[in-house]
Amino acid sequence: MFLPITVRVEKRLEIPPWLRLAVPVCSFLVALALASAVFAFQGLNPLAIYGTTFSRIIGTRIGLSFLVVKAIPLLLCAVGLVMAFRAQVWNIGAEGQLLLGAVAAAGLALFVMPEAPSAVLIPAMFLAGFLAGAAWALVPAVLKAKLNVNEVITTLMMNYIAAKLVEYLIYGPWRGKATWGFPFTDLIPGNAVLPTVPGTGIHYPTLMLALLSSGAVFVLMEKTKLGYEVKVFGGNPELAKAVGMRPAKIIIACMLVSGGLAGLAGVGELAGVHKRLMYPESISAGYGYTAIIVAWLARLNPLACVLTALLMGGLLAAGETMRTSFSIPYASVNVFNGLILLCVVAGEVMLRYKVKLVVRRSVGHEA
Amino acid sequence: MSKLPVGYLRWALVIALTAIISCVGTWAVLTYTAPTPGPTTPTTIHLKAAWIYVGPIGDYGWTHAHDVGRRYVDALYPWLETYYVESVKEANCPGVIDQLVAQGYTVIFTTSFGFMDATLDAAKKYPNVIFFHCSGYKRWDNMGTYFAEFYQLYYLNGLMAGALTKTGKAGYVAAHPIPEVIRHINAFAIGFAEVAEQRYARGELPNPPEVHVVWIYEWYNPAKAREAAESLITKGCDVLAFTEDSPTVVTVCEEHYKRGEPIYTFAHYSPMYAYGPDVVVSGQLVHWEVIYADIIAKIASGVYTTENLKAVDYWWMLHEGAVELGCNYSMPINPKFEAPLKSVTVVDKLTNETMTVYDLVFLRLEQMKDETPHVQVISGGEITWLTPNVTFDPFMGPLYDQDGNLRVPAGERLGHDELWTMMWFVKWVIGTIPT
Repeated sequence: MFLPITVRVEKRLEIPPWLRLAVPVCSFLVALALASAVFAFQGLNPLAIYGTTFSRIIGTRIGLSFLVVKAIPLLLCAVGLVMAFRAQVWNIGAEGQLLLGAVAAAGLALFVMPEAPSAVLIPAMFLAGFLAGAAWALVPAVLKAKLNVNEVITTLMMNYIAAKLVEYLIYGPWRGKATWGFPFTDLIPGNAVLPTVPGTGIHYPTLMLALLSSGAVFVLMEKTKLGYEVKVFGGNPELAKAVGMRPAKIIIACMLVSGGLAGLAGVGELAGVHKRLMYPESISAGYGYTAIIVAWLARLNPLACVLTALLMGGLLAAGETMRTSFSIPYASVNVFNGLILLCVVAGEVMLRYKVKLVVRRSVGHEA
Repeated sequence: MSKLPVGYLRWALVIALTAIISCVGTWAVLTYTAPTPGPTTPTTIHLKAAWIYVGPIGDYGWTHAHDVGRRYVDALYPWLETYYVESVKEANCPGVIDQLVAQGYTVIFTTSFGFMDATLDAAKKYPNVIFFHCSGYKRWDNMGTYFAEFYQLYYLNGLMAGALTKTGKAGYVAAHPIPEVIRHINAFAIGFAEVAEQRYARGELPNPPEVHVVWIYEWYNPAKAREAAESLITKGCDVLAFTEDSPTVVTVCEEHYKRGEPIYTFAHYSPMYAYGPDVVVSGQLVHWEVIYADIIAKIASGVYTTENLKAVDYWWMLHEGAVELGCNYSMPINPKFEAPLKSVTVVDKLTNETMTVYDLVFLRLEQMKDETPHVQVISGGEITWLTPNVTFDPFMGPLYDQDGNLRVPAGERLGHDELWTMMWFVKWVIGTIPT
C-alpha cells in the first residue's frame, strides 16, 4: 500500500434526517450523469433529452396523464406488498394476482351481469377483483402457513399459471364473437368502463381506491392489533410465537390483503385501460414485479408508496417520452431506467453504513 | 492515528458529484446546437408521419419489414418526415400516440393487431390526425386499415414442399391460432397436397400428405420455434413452413442439413437465404413500402382526408406487388432447388396438362399476379368484398375440413370475410385449433 489510507465501513447507529433526502437525490444525479455517457455515445445531447423529457412529463397534460396511469396499478400492488413484506412474507405473485383481478372483472362484465347499471357493476367488479386476487394469493399463503412451503417459489409459479389461465380463456371459451377470431374477449359493455378524468386516461375510481388503500394499510399497520402482530412477526417470528401470536393467521391475512389489492389493480387495468381481456403480457406490463421495487423504495411505508409509485410512473413515462421525442433506441431507454434504479437502490447502502477514510500514521500499523 | 475531519467523505462525495455533473453539463452546453429547421423545399407539402412498432426493428421479421417500408418512403418523398417508436407495449400505445400527436405528427401508422382499440380511441380523440392500422378491421373517418397478404405465397411454397418431401409429411411452426395464421397453414397444405397426393398415387411417397402443426403462442420466440421445429422433425416431417418472426426454423434446418439430414424450409417476411443457403427453397417476402408509398401519396395529394377513411382497407397481395415469392429479393426459388423441382412432374388440375412442379409454380404465380382475387365495392361508406371469377385461387373448391365435411363446393371459392374469420383446417392438416 502506497497510500496510508484505509477505507472503513461502519454501520450507522442513527440516520441523520437530511441524509434520507440527500442520498436518493444524489443517487439519482449520479445515475443521470452515468446515463449521459450512454446518450453522448449516440451523439445525443443529454441535457436536451433530460430537459425536454422533464418538461413534457411534468409540463403537459398528456405527460402527467401517462405518469398517473402507470402509477395506479403500481401503487395498488406496492401497498399490498408492503403489508406482506412487513411480515417477511415474500409475495412475488402480485403479477398473477393482478391478472386474476382482471379475469374476474372481465367475467362479471361480459357474462355474469353485463346489463347491470354502472353504479352496481363497477363496485361489483372491484369486489370480485379483490376476492379473485385474494383467492389466488390464498393458495401460497396456506401452503406457507400450514406446510412452510417457500412462498417465493409458489407465488412466482402462480404467476405463470395465471398467465396460462388468461391465455386459455382468450383462446378458448371467452374468445370474442366480434373479434374476427382473434384471441381477445369482446369489449366489455360501456356501463362497465371506468370513467376517466376528461382529456386524460386517468381512471379515477381506481386512483381513489389506490390512495385510500395506501391510507388504510397505514392505519392497519399502525393502529390495529393485526398490524402490531405483523410487525412483531416480521421482526422476530420466534418471539411472536413465544408470546402466543398465530403465524398462520398473520401470514394468511397479509397475503389476502396483498393479493386483493393487486386484484383491484387488475380491475383498473381491464376496465380503465384495455376494456377487454387480452394477452396477459398486454394486460399487465410487469406491474406486479415493478411494484416490488416501488414498495422497497418506499422503505415498506404504505404512505411513501404514493410518492415512489408516482416516481416510478414518471420513470416509465420518461422512457416513452424519450423514445417519442428523440430517436433513442429501446435498449438505451432500458439502460437509462436500469441505471436509475440501480443507483437509487445501491445508494441505500450509504444510508445504513458510514464509509470512513482513515489516514494511518504508519504503514502496517492497522494490521 | 489521525482521522480526517468529520464529514470529509460527505464533502468529497459532494465535490466529486458536482465535478461530474458540471463536466457533463459544460460538455453538453458546449456541444449543444439548437435544432436546425429542416431544409426549406420549394414545395408547400410537408408531412410528418410516425410509425408505432410492437417489436424491435432488429427482429428480422414483422417489425423489421415495416421499418424497411418506412425508410423507403422516407427516401422516396423529400417532403416527408418520418419517425418511429419501437417495442411499444399495448398498454403504452395510447400514451405514445398522444405524445406523437403533441409533436405534430399528422399521420400515424400502428403496426400491431393489439394496437387496434388504442388507435380507434385516438382517431376519435384527434379528428385532425390520419391513422392507419395494420392487420385490424376497425376503421373510422380518419382511420384506415391495411395488410399485405401471404396466402398465395404459402400455397406456392406448399407446391414446392410437396415436390421435395420424401416422407409425405410437412410441418408448420405456427405462432397464434388466429385466422391469419390458420389460412396460411391451409394455403400451404392445399399446395402441398396438390403435388404430394399425385406423388402418393404414383407410389413415390409412403403415405398420403399430412401437414403437422405445432402452436408456439408467440409471434417472436426463437427458443420455442426451435423446440417446435425439432419436435416436427422427430415426427418425420422433412419440410417445414413457419410463422414466427425470426430465422430460427431456417437455422434449425441448416443444422440438420449439415448433419446429413436434409430438412427444407421457406423464408418468412424477410430474406433469409443467408441463414440456410442449403435448405431455404423459397419463401414469402413483403413489400410494405408499396402500400406505404400509396397511402402517403394519396394523403399528400388530398385523396385521403380525415373524413373519408372509413372505407379504406388495403388487402394487397401478388397482383398489387405488396408481396413477393422468394427467399431473397428477386430470387423466387433458390437455384439449388431448380433441378429437383424440375424433376417432379404433376398434372395441372385446371387443364389436365402434365408439367414439372417448377413450371407449375411459375404458372400459378403468373395466374395470381394477373388477376386480383378479391374486389372491394364501396357503397354508403361500407366495404363489401366480391370474389370475381379468376383463373386460379388456392381456396377454390372442392375443399374438405378435417372431419370430412365439404366446406367449399366445387366451382366456388372463399371470399374475404370467410378467409378473415377462418377457424377450421383443411383435411390434410394434423393439429387442432384451441377453442
